[in-house]
Amino acid sequence: MPKEESSKVTRRSTRSSASATVENPEPIESHPPTIDDLTFGDESITLDAVLSDFPGRRSQIFDFIRLMGPLDCPTLPIMIYGGASTGKTSVVLQVLRHLNRPFVYSSCRTCYNPRILFESILNQLLLHRKCSSNGYSSAKRCDKPSDFVNLVREALSNVIKTLESASGTSRLNKPDEKPMGKMVYLILDNVDLIKDWDKGSMILQFLFSLDSVLKMPQLGIVLISGLPPDVYYSNMGYTDPIPLLFPEYSEEDLRQIFLRNQANPKLYSAFLDAVLRSFCRVTRRVEELSTTFSSLFRKYCEPLDDLGISPNEDMKRRLYSHLKPFIAPCLNDIFRVSTHPHDGETRGERRQKVSYSSENREELKILDFHMSTSAKYLLIAAFLASRNPATLDASMFDSTGGMDNRKRKRKASEKSMEKKEIAEQEAVMKGPGSFPLERLMAIFQCIASVGDSSFGEENEGEEEEDATGYDRENNNLMSDILLQVSSLCDANFLIKSGSCPLEGSIRYRSMVSEDLALKVAKSLSFPLAKYLYRR
Amino acid sequence: MGKEIPAEKSLNLIRGRLCDPSFIFGPLSASSDSNYSKLKFIVSTSITEGCNNSILLLGPRGSGKAAVLDLVVGDLLEQFPDSVSVIRLNGLLHSDDNCAFKEIARQLCMEHHLLFSKMASFDENSHFIIAMLRECGLAHKTIIFVLDEFDMFAQGKQRLLYSLLDAMQSVTSQAVVIGISSRLDADQLLEKRVRSRFSHRKILFLPPSRDELDGLLEHLLSLPADSSFPSGYVSRFNDKIKNITSDRRFKDILKTFFNAHSTVNSFLKFIFCAVSLMNLESGLLSLENFKAALSRMQRQPKLEAVRDCSVLELYLLVCMRRLEVKEQNSYNFISVMKEYKAIHDSFQTSDYYAQNVCIRGFEHLRERQVICYAENRGQSQTGEYRPMKLLISASELHQGMRSHACCPAILLKLLDH
Repeated sequence: MPKEESSKVTRRSTRSSASATVENPEPIESHPPTIDDLTFGDESITLDAVLSDFPGRRSQIFDFIRLMGPLDCPTLPIMIYGGASTGKTSVVLQVLRHLNRPFVYSSCRTCYNPRILFESILNQLLLHRKCSSNGYSSAKRCDKPSDFVNLVREALSNVIKTLESASGTSRLNKPDEKPMGKMVYLILDNVDLIKDWDKGSMILQFLFSLDSVLKMPQLGIVLISGLPPDVYYSNMGYTDPIPLLFPEYSEEDLRQIFLRNQANPKLYSAFLDAVLRSFCRVTRRVEELSTTFSSLFRKYCEPLDDLGISPNEDMKRRLYSHLKPFIAPCLNDIFRVSTHPHDGETRGERRQKVSYSSENREELKILDFHMSTSAKYLLIAAFLASRNPATLDASMFDSTGGMDNRKRKRKASEKSMEKKEIAEQEAVMKGPGSFPLERLMAIFQCIASVGDSSFGEENEGEEEEDATGYDRENNNLMSDILLQVSSLCDANFLIKSGSCPLEGSIRYRSMVSEDLALKVAKSLSFPLAKYLYRR
Repeated sequence: MGKEIPAEKSLNLIRGRLCDPSFIFGPLSASSDSNYSKLKFIVSTSITEGCNNSILLLGPRGSGKAAVLDLVVGDLLEQFPDSVSVIRLNGLLHSDDNCAFKEIARQLCMEHHLLFSKMASFDENSHFIIAMLRECGLAHKTIIFVLDEFDMFAQGKQRLLYSLLDAMQSVTSQAVVIGISSRLDADQLLEKRVRSRFSHRKILFLPPSRDELDGLLEHLLSLPADSSFPSGYVSRFNDKIKNITSDRRFKDILKTFFNAHSTVNSFLKFIFCAVSLMNLESGLLSLENFKAALSRMQRQPKLEAVRDCSVLELYLLVCMRRLEVKEQNSYNFISVMKEYKAIHDSFQTSDYYAQNVCIRGFEHLRERQVICYAENRGQSQTGEYRPMKLLISASELHQGMRSHACCPAILLKLLDH
């Protein structure tokens, strides 16, 4: 018999924690897990409840139930795939709740490497719960597939023995529950994330051939994946699991989903009539639509005094005309998630933070976040340095300030138009150019001196003291400016691009979009357009 | 518990048969010149004569190599109860030499009721194995090593293979090494010194013939006439099966299926899908079940992906396709946006959205693996400037858009010009 390995991981303790005494004893743990915990746990629900919980998924639910088969029916591995938020995980878990069969669930999103995944599955099979009494460690240490196979075989045979003896005797405390059966189902969620793991392809192949390696017909395997099965094809072949597709919801299904749990279904359905079709053209994902709809619905109900009434045709038309001007801008903001609960109102002291990095509202031309003046100038300098070719710096930033548009527009010949187009395409493909730090400093000093005159009008909320230090020595300026550069890099406005092999200096690249640069320039009253080189 | 309806019982029975390899390959291996008999002959002669041997079983995945081997091993364990012990290794799990030796030592210990220590080092394990081989040889006991996924053992330094085959060269050992691989050139992967110790016996597993498969189908789907089923049900079920299999449409379905799939395992999957669709009230199979199973086996994933796209994402795909048609082979998000704007300006479409919405649409397309970045090098650029490429062909895009629920007509027109 193999010797048991100790399950306690010896931990090093710091001196302070070792000397500290435990103040209050840990509360006694609730009952240790039993075989019953392998089922869903809550009350079993009927099939109709499952079907009504998931509108639009009727055929998939039936397919899944048929593939699972009646009680104790052996099954080949199944793979459920579909886009995000199509209900794969929840349908699987609710169907298993309805069928009341024991299962082991593990998600590859929370178990982010093989060791954690294997140990999580083993913990559930060995009915081991991590708690303070065992130091939050797993029952067995396992990080190789070979150990996993041996340990799972042992654990599964124990579980199946318990299940068989349990199904033999009658269940006294829950006489109306259906029997649990003798099979255990293993559910692995987010299998597509394994592709990005270290040695991910080996682990994937191991998981796909798990049923033939284990050779235990009492284990049924269900894999849930966000990507279709053909992305897993690799040089090492395997036999496909049986696929089951969860397609995206149709418009009709989305309507039913949104009408659930609404306080006033008639009002909401009138609202959906107005907006659903146009928003479905952009995206059909439930999580993205629900955030937009919640704020739009609030706006829709604004003119109503009583939210409980059911509208007639006339009222519907009035509500729709009230809502109409808001629909188009909302379509353009559809992926924006606001952290402020009432995003329609901009109240005084709390400023709205935009969580999506380079987003901006097109109607409001003000900057949504705060930057110090020198940081703003640095941003503009970086933007100009990326956009303009280096050879034009001298003429651009000379004493006359800005490019004069007196350049003659010669009649463009066809060849030069073509060349211009190709050059434009190449410029678009290459993206913003890179520049060394010295060039950035030079441009910064030029434009900062231009903006010097407007400095006196800055408000009192200025944080940086050396904003007024432009007429002091440069040393002070330089070190703080370098700090600003690194914080701009952290905010992803500048990125470090490759370094020039000859000079060895680091080159930077500006990642600011033109809109944002224009807004920053406008907040400084800086004439950006004069300095931009247009081909 | 309770009364099982006969449909469920028959479903359980058939599905159980489908998941049990020995049931499937038993009748397939019945004839005298099948792979089963060849393998059995080789192994049993080496057991009785006390000599060493090595064989490779080759064939595409799902053709029953491991199943036939299990049948042979089962028979031999019955025939020679005390003189055979089996060690199983799998290339997926044990390709690392340390792992492999540990596993061999563990299985040997379990067979002979010895204590196994997990802390044993690699050297200790290998000494133990060689000692066991000698002991077993002296006791006229043959050890059969089954190496699944043989080609994975042939990666790296092939230390395990060399030590096993080398140990077999000595007079005192009696071992048979059976390798299973789905790479038909698995023996070419061996090093010179390993290959010289390997007897080049190979058994090829070819796809079964149509007659064999028809016989297998009948064998699988006919219910036994025992008393656990209600009377009349069995005969009704079997008659229905006979009706279906003699139907011309069923033969067409099978022919379409065999155009794409040739191995036994894919056939079993097809039957599994059909059987699981069985109508539980009547308890009988029907032709529609088989048709539905066939359509499930013949999926078109890219088409499904295009059908799941929203209208905005279809616009982006059409813009990318148009850029490709204009022979602009490398394009990025900004150039696609330009094309999108150009389309909007010339056709005045109602679907013109801002850049941040479109970039999210791009992300959705990339998640579904309909488009991807063209190269992995350009990591220093943001996503907007990295070159992209389409992962679906023009015809798939056409077909997907035509079967899309609400594709605007103008997009189809744009795609053609």
